[in-house]
Amino acid sequence: MYGQSLLSNSQRATARSESRYRIDYPLVPTRGARVIALDKGAEEIVRKAASQQWQSAHFFALDTSPSCDSYIGSSVEVTLRSFDGETIPLNQELDSVDVVVMVATQDTGAAAANTIAAACTVRGIMTAGIIASTNADSTVAALRPHARILIISADKNDLEYLLTAIRA
Amino acid sequence: MLRAEVNEFLTQTGPDTKMGNLFRQYWIPALLAEELPEKDCPPVRVKLLSERLIAFRDSEDRLGLIDEFCAHRGVSLWFGRNEESGLRCAYHGWKYDVTGQCVEVPSEPSNSTFCQNVKLRSYPLVQLGDVLWTYMGDPEKTPPLPDFEWLHVPANQTFTSKRFQESNWLQALEGGIDSSHVSFLHSSGLHNDPLFKGAKGNEYNLKDLKPFFEVADADGGLFIAARRNAEEGHYYWRVTPWIMPSFTMVPPRGDHPVHGHFWVPVDDENCWVFTYDYHPVRPLTETELQAMKDGHGVHSENIPGTYIPVRNKSNDYLMDREAQKRHETFSGVAGIALQDASLQESMGPIVDRTKERLTTTDIGIVKARAKLRQAALDLAENGTIPPGVNPAHHRVRSASVVLPKDQAFNEALKVELSVQPGVRQASV
Ligand code: FES
Ligand SMILES: [Fe+2]
Repeated sequence: MYGQSLLSNSQRATARSESRYRIDYPLVPTRGARVIALDKGAEEIVRKAASQQWQSAHFFALDTSPSCDSYIGSSVEVTLRSFDGETIPLNQELDSVDVVVMVATQDTGAAAANTIAAACTVRGIMTAGIIASTNADSTVAALRPHARILIISADKNDLEYLLTAIRA
Repeated sequence: MLRAEVNEFLTQTGPDTKMGNLFRQYWIPALLAEELPEKDCPPVRVKLLSERLIAFRDSEDRLGLIDEFCAHRGVSLWFGRNEESGLRCAYHGWKYDVTGQCVEVPSEPSNSTFCQNVKLRSYPLVQLGDVLWTYMGDPEKTPPLPDFEWLHVPANQTFTSKRFQESNWLQALEGGIDSSHVSFLHSSGLHNDPLFKGAKGNEYNLKDLKPFFEVADADGGLFIAARRNAEEGHYYWRVTPWIMPSFTMVPPRGDHPVHGHFWVPVDDENCWVFTYDYHPVRPLTETELQAMKDGHGVHSENIPGTYIPVRNKSNDYLMDREAQKRHETFSGVAGIALQDASLQESMGPIVDRTKERLTTTDIGIVKARAKLRQAALDLAENGTIPPGVNPAHHRVRSASVVLPKDQAFNEALKVELSVQPGVRQASV
């Protein structure tokens, strides 16, 4: 097939019958995906996704207990809360993570978005933003410099599509 | 990654498949007008959405697209005689008009009405621009004709070509909305292709190999924007519209004509790539037109008399490893169209998407698949007319612009991303 008959390589190699010889072995999943809801509306979307089976994805909301300052200004301390109610400092959760997906439906999480996105940039973590409404302009602006991808006017299922696609 | 059943769902477009029914909601390109150049010209075999058809232009200049096979004993009407307002089967002389209606069965008595009961399946065929369009769905629900800008500019401002690609339509379309490959696969084209080179935007393209992506909804599909660094405080944006099911428009470069594609399933393992080029406000120059005909830009150099590219899988796309070493091409294959086709065909006729390892930057592809699937399901379950059927959805443009960093492309470019007659494309 190779060598002398080089001219016909691609013809033969791309035949339908050849497809079955593609080696079949499990692909390693994404190393770690963290999904963070930036506001109440986003929590619903994230909670729904969290109820599915994933290989490595963990899901969080922002911890908005009274001890936590309101998310105004350019940068704030961010504490995450898992859906079992456990609180975790952001920095601790970013170890050995490949991708962080932030979900927003309004602007209350803009400052937190800024903090999280900047923390990801420093660590070389791929950052994605899913904006599931049309009134989160400040959050979009906070994410834009950092988020490698932004889904604007996102569909409510986009989070699950994205996580499935990347084998999270 | 896609589950195996979703991959099958999206890649099968034959009759009675869900994606096939989705495609049958739209007017789609069937042939180039040049394939049926005059009255009573030779009929042309056409396969679309896994249906074998024959196209012809009759003595009265009417266009027909009908079942390829004679109702009598299944002979191909490609051998038929196209004369006296119909296509006559070469075997026993049954004759059909452009609607597929049998108008003569010579073996029957001359006053017989037998032929009135014989009708081949047929679809409308309409010329718009350089293309003959068909609609293969329910005749009762025929939508208005397509309204893409390139179909309406004066003839000297546009050129359309086509080429055969030996892969499923979806992997071809996915190449059209995956703008991050340009800086690699097509990098040399940005330097030397006559229809690409010289634009300021090319510099941003080549300097910043790690674009950021933003995806926003369009009425008929998506706007997929790739953002790269430009001068201090600015981003260079390239915005690609995708209109369902398979129309894409490449962001322009400088004052070069604007181009894009319509990817049309032939069957599940092959597709037609219709490639258009147009300038919204000026005629194409002689040089531009010649370059397009020679297969530069996104067009292909085809074997004369066919729509098969000169560089094809049977000759390994005339792979030139030396040119690759000299960095004249990135992959060793010459020409943008065949750089794409060679790689897409290399995946096999229908790529196994259960094995892919997508990253978040493939979001345009992820969204497009999701939208196609949702539209096909909505159609099947509720009869919902899918996005992209309404001709108003066709009135989009691509754009390539430099914007201050704080501006959102979809807000800043509202006007530029829609058709403005007489106004030049937004392009750097
Ligand atoms: S780098 Fe994209 S397919 Fe190989
Ligand atoms: Fe390409």
